Amino acid sequence: MPDNWGFVAAAYGLAAVVFGAYWRRLARREREIAAVRTDREAVRNDRASRSQQPSKAGHPRPEPASRPPLQP
Amino acid sequence: MTTLLGWLAGLGLVAGLVMGFGVAPREVTQGNVQRIMYLHVPAVWVAYLAFTVGSAASIAYLAGRRAGADRLAHAACEVGTVFLGVNIATGAIWGKPTWGTWWTWDARLTSVAVVFVMFLAYLLLRGAIEDRERGARYGAVLSIVAALNIPLVHFSVYWWRTLHQPPSLLKPGSSTMPRVILTALLVNFAAQALLGAYFVARRARLLAAEEEALA
Repeated sequence: MPDNWGFVAAAYGLAAVVFGAYWRRLARREREIAAVRTDREAVRNDRASRSQQPSKAGHPRPEPASRPPLQP
Repeated sequence: MTTLLGWLAGLGLVAGLVMGFGVAPREVTQGNVQRIMYLHVPAVWVAYLAFTVGSAASIAYLAGRRAGADRLAHAACEVGTVFLGVNIATGAIWGKPTWGTWWTWDARLTSVAVVFVMFLAYLLLRGAIEDRERGARYGAVLSIVAALNIPLVHFSVYWWRTLHQPPSLLKPGSSTMPRVILTALLVNFAAQALLGAYFVARRARLLAAEEEALA
């Protein structure tokens, strides 16, 4: 019987592609989850820093110097 | 631990290739195309092993409702499906030069295709149900039912007349396989088992991270 090396190469090549694709899929998903975690951490830190600032009563108004001059 | 498993799997795969192509001799009847066996047979053993772990973890989940058991079941069933896919595809590639056909609806091939489709349905079910607890419960039942088909796949070559040859190793009595071929097969099985364990560990950890991030 002929050796059919082409079939052997196809079988091993296909397996390498499938296992490699699965490995890459896991790695990509891990990176996505890490990015979501980082974003959430940043939002949480931002909220925490805002909650430490003193609250202002009423509606905040611009400082007098920044007000536009009255038009005649 | 997971990284160590990955390195061991990589080394094992290299050793498996050396055994399959460098040490094992050319088979007399089939020629070199028989070397596909070192990939095809271990892949189905690892798939069986993963499905057994997955269904045992599913039973543990249904008994105790622990999220860790569900994550292990999900990861093992997913990895088992990947290995079974490789087994079916490499079997088709091996079948063409030896049987003259890529596929035939005989008992062994049909029963293994049924198991593959059932585990694909498991993965679709897990992806389709948003409620984690409900998805875990339905998935656990489906994975147990699907795994019950594995003995049917194994014994199909005895119960029905098939084109597929009977097992050379997982059978009563001693193996008739030459020792060098048997060693190459077992080295490749160990390598693929390590790869499967690495994938399961990494996937289970990823599932835990997903639940934590999306909670």
